Amino acid sequence: MAAHDFNFLLATDSYKITHYKQYPPDVSKIYSYFECRRKKGSQFNEVVFFGLQYLLKKYLTGRVVTEDKIQEAKLFYQMHFKQTVFDEEGWRKILEKHDGRLPIRIKAVPEGRIIPRGNVLFTVENTDPGFFWLTNYIETMLVQMWYPITVATISREFKKILAKHLKATSGSLEGLNEKLHDFGYRGVSSQESAALGGAAHLVNFCSTDTVAGLLMAQRYYACPMAGFSIPAAEHSTIISWGRNREKDAFEQVLDQFSSGPVSVVSDSYDIFNACKHIWGDKLKERVMERSQDSCLVIRPDSGDPAETLIEVIKILAECFGCSKNSMGYKVLPSYLRIIQGDGIDLNSINEILQKLSEEGWSAENVNFGCGSALLQKLNRDTLSCAFKCSYVETNGKGMDVYKQPVTDPSKGSKRGRLSLRRNSGGFIETVERGAGKPEEDLLVTVFENGNLLREYSLDEIRKNARLRDLDLSPAIYNNEKEFLGKHILNGLTEAMCQTAAET
Amino acid sequence: MTPVRPPLAPPGLSSSSFGPSHSQLQRSRKMERGETDFNIMLATDSYKVTHYKQYPPNTSKVYSYFECREKRTDPSKSRKVKYEKTVFYGLQYILHKYLKGKVVTPQKIQEAKEVYREHFQDDVFNEKGWTYILEKHNGQLPIEIKAVPEGSVIPRGNVLFTVESTDPECYWLTNWVETILVQIWYPITVATNSREQKKILAKYLYETSGNLDGLEYKLHDFGYRGVSSQETAGIGASAHLVNFKGTDTVAGISVIKKYYGTKDPVPGFSVPAAEHSTITAWGKDHEKDAFEHIIKQFPSVPVSIVSDSYDIYNACEKIWGEDLRGLIESRSADAPLVVRPDSGNPLDTVLKVLEILGKKFIPEENSKGYKVLPPYIRVIQGDGVDINTLQEIVEGMKEHRWSIENIAFGSGGALLQKLTRDLLNCSFKCSYVVTNGLGVNVFKDPVADPNKRSKKGRLSLHRTQSGDFVTLEEGKGELEEYGVDLLHTVFQNGKIVKTYTFDEVRDNAKLKESELEELH
Repeated sequence: MAAHDFNFLLATDSYKITHYKQYPPDVSKIYSYFECRRKKGSQFNEVVFFGLQYLLKKYLTGRVVTEDKIQEAKLFYQMHFKQTVFDEEGWRKILEKHDGRLPIRIKAVPEGRIIPRGNVLFTVENTDPGFFWLTNYIETMLVQMWYPITVATISREFKKILAKHLKATSGSLEGLNEKLHDFGYRGVSSQESAALGGAAHLVNFCSTDTVAGLLMAQRYYACPMAGFSIPAAEHSTIISWGRNREKDAFEQVLDQFSSGPVSVVSDSYDIFNACKHIWGDKLKERVMERSQDSCLVIRPDSGDPAETLIEVIKILAECFGCSKNSMGYKVLPSYLRIIQGDGIDLNSINEILQKLSEEGWSAENVNFGCGSALLQKLNRDTLSCAFKCSYVETNGKGMDVYKQPVTDPSKGSKRGRLSLRRNSGGFIETVERGAGKPEEDLLVTVFENGNLLREYSLDEIRKNARLRDLDLSPAIYNNEKEFLGKHILNGLTEAMCQTAAET
Repeated sequence: MTPVRPPLAPPGLSSSSFGPSHSQLQRSRKMERGETDFNIMLATDSYKVTHYKQYPPNTSKVYSYFECREKRTDPSKSRKVKYEKTVFYGLQYILHKYLKGKVVTPQKIQEAKEVYREHFQDDVFNEKGWTYILEKHNGQLPIEIKAVPEGSVIPRGNVLFTVESTDPECYWLTNWVETILVQIWYPITVATNSREQKKILAKYLYETSGNLDGLEYKLHDFGYRGVSSQETAGIGASAHLVNFKGTDTVAGISVIKKYYGTKDPVPGFSVPAAEHSTITAWGKDHEKDAFEHIIKQFPSVPVSIVSDSYDIYNACEKIWGEDLRGLIESRSADAPLVVRPDSGNPLDTVLKVLEILGKKFIPEENSKGYKVLPPYIRVIQGDGVDINTLQEIVEGMKEHRWSIENIAFGSGGALLQKLTRDLLNCSFKCSYVVTNGLGVNVFKDPVADPNKRSKKGRLSLHRTQSGDFVTLEEGKGELEEYGVDLLHTVFQNGKIVKTYTFDEVRDNAKLKESELEELH
């Protein structure tokens, strides 16, 4: 049921108020779609579809138009445009004819599905000919789907990199789901974005400090607890002891949290000194008392991430020893681990893991925290997300429409009514011009006339988004895929999925 | 429906039932009915839940501050735009929306307790501490926040606000609210980046026309769809309106009305404009009919028409320049046609469009010797505009002798989304604690990064005799000789004690004479 205070009539780009006057006369249907356009040279070939259910539940279902909201909007637009241009009558008709519910149909790919770039992800059309103008009125709100899609996609890309290195250096994927911890709550632009981004990360991982994401997953995706965390220090809890008492500060954390894992930021003054002389010497016995279930996780937080990490792990190995795992890589004792939570993005994480492996260290030794790069350092251009009109009906006659700017062919849009199918070769493709067969259409009607018709739980979404064998193969990950040809790879991937789903 | 164990539960931890409890289900239903209530106890980084146990025993005060750190960068990596000063904006929104009044209730304590028990697989939540706040302070936060006036433009590396606990039992509260307060990085960064663009526009507008008329409408907010959420749209759009008056991000206006207030009925304006669907819906062969229909719908106000659906240059030359020329020439200076390209290299496209339009609608030379199109036709470039391309375009136009009067800009992603906390190094750090009755100046100073060193002790902000800003550390500002502290108490024990109107914010942030002088 849509949020009570929220005025849907004010949740659009201003210029869209004026569009009902601009469409051809006698238009009875506007049909539009959303895609993550293909872009040459982009490092992301496929996307995770996620987040629509949140928008539908929060803003679009139920009675979104009331007389109060119409009046508020009317008054506002009068002043904002300095003239009367708001379509008061149009909105009142929604109130009268449809009890304030939106006469719109949205068909979408199931949430969590992995879809190659350049395919339709959802379509929007009006179900009542009187409200053709409504389809693109909601573009502004629906295009914000770029965000949960992009976070979930980037998060999954991280997972691919981590999986590759973990498999190669340890022989298994145990602990993969905790390898990337969401540190992004403070670095994101608002509470709402934190919740949405935080939940998107939880599609792929279960480690987070962004509590808002847990609540989002609980309230909108039926997951009572989607993520976990551990007690950890921050700089204030260390420096408040004074410069000369860093050891006491460290010891306090160990004492207070003796039965589970605990993370201690150790770079307040000198990370190397802290590792060598405090953890590795003064508190060495206290550290060795701990078990795998109550391990100490040391956190560097400054300096060059890869160099600092290598230096730290060397010092810790000197002080505590290390052993070799079944793949021949070095692992610190099970009561001791490291978390690198500063300066992490897709590039640096790969560099770090690469360097670690070159120096003979297993990826088991390190977990990662990521803030900005996970939840904020992304935008609509990252996956070229766009919403475009592809079909209209005028005087009962349908017409396929599109844009095709001469100055940028990549901005061309699809034509006609669209559907998504898996073709005979196993590739996912979009069928244009209304030529798709309904029984093959992977798009599902999720919203119609104010009602949510299909719900997905985080469980289902996680299943849909899981890494596939190809993603886990140590020899291949994204950039190298380019050489193998996108279609073939996607075909193989989908065929394997199909087989997996059928068994 | 729900699993007994979450599918990704960490191995080795004892399992407990993870099905939703009755109260959780009740809450879910309430949430879906739109009765979600913000819970400050659930609005922090998870690890902060555990910090009350980590401070030194007998700590009775934690005092922290926020700044946009200076960054001494490697000269070889110098950025094009330096952002030497920042606009302080957005605290009032956070205080009003999230921190004031009775924020702790028994239900919320219960909710937080349940969430954290599952989230940590342990009882680590400070139920006692929050219950104390409920009982002793009627659920209001015993915190004091002192801040620089909103809209103030302050050089990097200065304290912008301080936060301290006011009840010895609640020393842990100061940094509990770090997470929510640090999100101020966003309105600060949008307002700052928007203002830097205003400086660029002012410089070139002045140079090519001799005045600053219309400056406040030269950069229009197109960012609503390109931000990460509705809430971000509201905050970001309001931050842009600190410097400009043109916006399509309606959400910003409600934020200003609700949390700041203006003497004018609205702080931001827009004009009728086309989008691709309203052109392409007519069919490829009817672009002219679309254009004609739309300009006729809006005869007496400015109207912007996106013209690149198929071929921007053809549209400018043949449709606007020939077929519909008469209709355009009959429009008044108050109601120009604004031609909108939307693809291709921004500078190249703008120059070519101006050239084509200039052949069909003969420009005049203004008092500064730059060409201006007739007043009934203008251009708006709303694609690919960020602070760098903006600079390139106005520079390119100047080189080709086009006045900036001809053009306005729209910016979306770059204005409201393509920004991070690292751009201005926004940071919140503890600088002073009281333990066993003794005040201690504290700081971090990581050996591998001098940029990350934090300030020490109690802080204040002052103006020197020469008018520069200076932050005094270690309580030095409390000595009378340094003059008045520019930080004012805005929040105290649950109450907002000082507010700023949006007009005051705009006034504080306006371009200064000295900055305008620097420009020419």
